[in-house]
Amino acid sequence: MLAVDVKNIKKTFVSKQDNVEAVKDVSFQVKQGEIFGLLGPNGAGKSTTILMLTTLLRITEGSASILGLDVASKDKEVREKIGVALQDTGIDNLLTGRELFSTTCRLWGYSKKDSEKRTTELLELVGLMEAADRRVKTYSGGMKRRLDLGLSLVHSPEILFLDEPTTGLDPGSRRVLWDEIKRLRDNGVTIILTTQYLEEADELSDRIAIIDEGLVVAEGTSDELKAGIGGDVITFAFENNNDLESAKNILKNTVQEKNELRIKVEDGASKIPIYLKDLSSNGVEVSSVSANKPTLDDVFLEVTGYRLEGSEDITKEEEKGDR
Amino acid sequence: MKSNSSFLVQLQILTKRMVLRVVRRPLAELPNLIISAFFLFVYDGALGGVFGGTASGTPFDFAKGNFINFILPVSIVSASLSGAASGIYLVEDIESGVFKRYQSMPISRWAIILAPMNVGALRVLLQSSLILLIGIIIGADPAVGNIGFLIVLSIAFIWGMGFAGYSVAAGVKSGSSQGAQAATFLFFPAIFLAPTFVPREALKGWLETAAAYNPTTYVIEAMRAVMVDGWELDVLFRGYLSAGLFAALTLTLAVLSARKATEKA
Repeated sequence: MLAVDVKNIKKTFVSKQDNVEAVKDVSFQVKQGEIFGLLGPNGAGKSTTILMLTTLLRITEGSASILGLDVASKDKEVREKIGVALQDTGIDNLLTGRELFSTTCRLWGYSKKDSEKRTTELLELVGLMEAADRRVKTYSGGMKRRLDLGLSLVHSPEILFLDEPTTGLDPGSRRVLWDEIKRLRDNGVTIILTTQYLEEADELSDRIAIIDEGLVVAEGTSDELKAGIGGDVITFAFENNNDLESAKNILKNTVQEKNELRIKVEDGASKIPIYLKDLSSNGVEVSSVSANKPTLDDVFLEVTGYRLEGSEDITKEEEKGDR
Repeated sequence: MKSNSSFLVQLQILTKRMVLRVVRRPLAELPNLIISAFFLFVYDGALGGVFGGTASGTPFDFAKGNFINFILPVSIVSASLSGAASGIYLVEDIESGVFKRYQSMPISRWAIILAPMNVGALRVLLQSSLILLIGIIIGADPAVGNIGFLIVLSIAFIWGMGFAGYSVAAGVKSGSSQGAQAATFLFFPAIFLAPTFVPREALKGWLETAAAYNPTTYVIEAMRAVMVDGWELDVLFRGYLSAGLFAALTLTLAVLSARKATEKA
């Protein structure tokens, strides 16, 4: 049985002023025991998709099921199967970590005695035992995220939804959370996470769906996606801005990123001497050049036409349709 | 091990959690209590000399010698407005995302809504009781005997729940704690377009008319009846009826707005 089966879901927010199509057409399937990453920029429709799958938003069109249970008609049953840590689910700062765990355990139906036991297990699991009796307002951002993750695990859910679990965290805290997420997957929990970090999607996800403007524009394993665009990416770096501008005119179909020009070609190693000769004969000095296999960053650029991170620094030199 | 918790357990757990929140920020809660006691002392200090014992035998002897008995209902009514905190508690949970966390769990929507109302009710009882206690210490002595305190407390409770319902409806409707806070501005017309300092018949014409349409008037008059005049069942009935109708109206509004808030968008 599939863990998650999403078929052509749409979400339109209707207001007096305007109708906004936050999710236009999203379909994907998640197998049990895998980490499935929804990658996309802010406003792409990732969080709205997660809200629909976690029964918190009504699906406008299409259907989705969790472990065979229809999200729309079996919402209560679905909520029993899933754990949810969303960007906008809050934590009560005035309570201690222990109180939050025990309150959540009791709400999930644990007896007083069992809730104490489960609270201890979870505090240990997310590494918050030492801070258990401190109010949450004294926790760091990373501790709050681990607490949030722990709270979503109280009832041992089969499927876990994590909406941008590491946004705003420092690299160390991010790494700790990644390890925890992988450990959960290794213990059989299916995880659906959204992220706007390419590295996170690459590192964690068994499969990735790239969402842009409410549509799934690519889906597969990280390797499949990279192989899908094929060829190599040659990167030319320039010290002088005039050289960079001249090179843009000489080399076609480039993408600029800061002082670099990137170009996607078949068999990069054999093309480099040809390009260098062209540039040199036009008096353009290149400070360095390299050829690499495409990254997830390149995949994202290929399927959306812009870069996910630092896109404000990118000058798109080519039309998407030309590639 | 785990089985789904019952509605009552959910309500109890959520209420307990909210009580913990309240007691952990006493500075946010104390002013309301202090201001009700403050008004009691100020009203007594400013007006007790005129309308207290010295008014005996004059047309101003409506307090019948004990101005505390006369003015205590005003402080009780203002203390009962603390029920309006219910809406603020609920909206705080909506704003912080805690509300959404609970919505993602298989627990009753009504338990989520009723928990802050419970805490509002506890606040009303606690604050009204404390004001009554202060009143007793400084000489309140109901004309109908000590049962008068219970009657006053019960009317205050119903009235306070009316404000709780109003604040929940206003808070959920506006979706902001400012919206819920705005509910407390009702305090001024509620208290001052009423026979607050003198009986209704002593008010000027326009204010007397306004007071006649203000349910607070009947609540204060019912409390005063048991404190000052004795068993006046028709006055008492009007007081309970006004408080009850107000509470029924606002709680209905609260339920309707809360139902909308918990529906999926």
